[in-house]
Amino acid sequence: MSDKMKTYPVVDVKTHHPEMKSYYFRQIEEQILPGQFFNLWLPGVDEKPFSVSDVYQGIMEITIKAVGPFTRAFMNVKRGDRIGIRGPFGRGFTMHQHSLLIGGGMGIVPLRYLARNLREKGFHFEVILGGRTEKDIPFTTEFSEWAPTTLVTEDGSLGYLGLVTQHIHEIIGRSKLSHIYSSGPEGMLVRVMEEASGRGLDYEISFERYMKCGIGICGQCVVDGSGIRLCKEGPVLNREEAEKVTEWGMVHRDGAGRRERED
Amino acid sequence: MSLCMKPDISVSFLNKTMSSPLVLASGVLGLTADSMKRVLEAGAGAVTTKSFSMDPRKGHPCPSILPYDGGLLNAVGLSNPGVAEMNKEIRKLQTQHNGLIFASVFGRTPEEFGSAAASAAESEPDLIEVNVSCPNVESEFGTPFGASFRDVEKITTIVKKAAGSIPVSIKLTIHCPSISKMARVCEESGADAVTAINTVGPGMLVDTGVMKPVLANKVGGVSGPAIFPLALKAVWEITGTVRLPVIATGGVTTTDHALQMIMAGAALVSIGSAVYYEELDVFSKINKGLTDWMTERKIGNLQEIRGKAHE
Repeated sequence: MSDKMKTYPVVDVKTHHPEMKSYYFRQIEEQILPGQFFNLWLPGVDEKPFSVSDVYQGIMEITIKAVGPFTRAFMNVKRGDRIGIRGPFGRGFTMHQHSLLIGGGMGIVPLRYLARNLREKGFHFEVILGGRTEKDIPFTTEFSEWAPTTLVTEDGSLGYLGLVTQHIHEIIGRSKLSHIYSSGPEGMLVRVMEEASGRGLDYEISFERYMKCGIGICGQCVVDGSGIRLCKEGPVLNREEAEKVTEWGMVHRDGAGRRERED
Repeated sequence: MSLCMKPDISVSFLNKTMSSPLVLASGVLGLTADSMKRVLEAGAGAVTTKSFSMDPRKGHPCPSILPYDGGLLNAVGLSNPGVAEMNKEIRKLQTQHNGLIFASVFGRTPEEFGSAAASAAESEPDLIEVNVSCPNVESEFGTPFGASFRDVEKITTIVKKAAGSIPVSIKLTIHCPSISKMARVCEESGADAVTAINTVGPGMLVDTGVMKPVLANKVGGVSGPAIFPLALKAVWEITGTVRLPVIATGGVTTTDHALQMIMAGAALVSIGSAVYYEELDVFSKINKGLTDWMTERKIGNLQEIRGKAHE
């Protein structure tokens, strides 16, 4: 793991659409687990955590959607520009047979690298992905090639009309899946936890909180109820860990450390 | 002591008993009750909150905390959700653990230090630590308050009055004409303890790839093992000058560091950056290290070695 700041050139950029791009870097660490994240520093702007969307043949991919000042500035990054990279940080997903991958929006990103790992192990898994519109669901081609994949959009522009959470029940029942992986908007994650707990299924979920140091000392990403540092013991938590946390779906903290209501 | 007796690492501090002389230093894992509870459970005798001000502060953009070869560089910029939030966390922690809680406060003016301390006193922490020495925030004259005898005297007097019955420790910096004279000023102004030292510098790092400073704030306070000898000398100098108890902090990472601080006269030993190097285990490791060392040297109580380096 590289905690210290070092910049690396972008070796390639792929434009999914003008507001979502993948940036490719030389693989800086031997072992990068799906669900782990890197802190990316855009010199002169800020530094933010991003999970890995893929590691393949010595190249690692980070996929970013323009949602705020930092990610909008990132859309101007070109091949050859240098980006500061620290990591990989945190704990990733562990490998399980017969799983369902449930992803929403940009939460789909870490599941893509997870899917590659499950596939390489020859494990059986199914996938359900949701987004507001077709544009908000990345990597549909890869997922569909690798596993039975259900797509859901809120406007019906791709797959079923509605929400991911309306379809989980049926898929689990039909395919006898025993493990759930999930990442996405927290409202969705809370529903996934309820569904999994109701069925007595184990799960691993990648959560998101405002992070600063990435190395477990600043305390910014500690979640209530547990003292769990999401940058260190997370961002992927298993059922036992996630159930200790009392703030899911209710509050999160901003950069000053203020508690804000979850949208 | 009799051979079969286990040495006692508990200490008495301002008429309160602590299970260990180790304290979580301000700025590390000190934002919420659950975070600090975890540190107390890991073996700290007390925890210090992150520094809080009357009004919430956003702090500096990131990168704001970076490891380098000899320690950490930080310019978090005193981000905090305001003293009222801190009080809620302290109240919550008091119901969950009986470890001591030190509330760290700061202000932009001496008067703001006073109102922050008055507000913090409402949650009845065991100590109010006054951060007059953060290198990232300056007085209106462009220097940290901790560099000026007059500012420290003024702030100590105001805070002591505002804190009522809650004891007050002033956190000092080595970046002043004389840290022992500064401690004397604190003592004469009514402080109950001093904390020494704050981060050193500020310092900086440049990324040679983009040829720019890496901290968003460009410069930041230096902590970690690199500053241990500076902190130790400051503690030794202060305890040779004033009778106030000293909370020693600055690069303490090992049992040997903690022993050196106590031998230099420290009442308590704070740990911050070492959480990065040794994880939360650092507290139980040093507690055990102290116990083992005392057993070997047939020492029953830390009081027996406190200040020995002065003799």
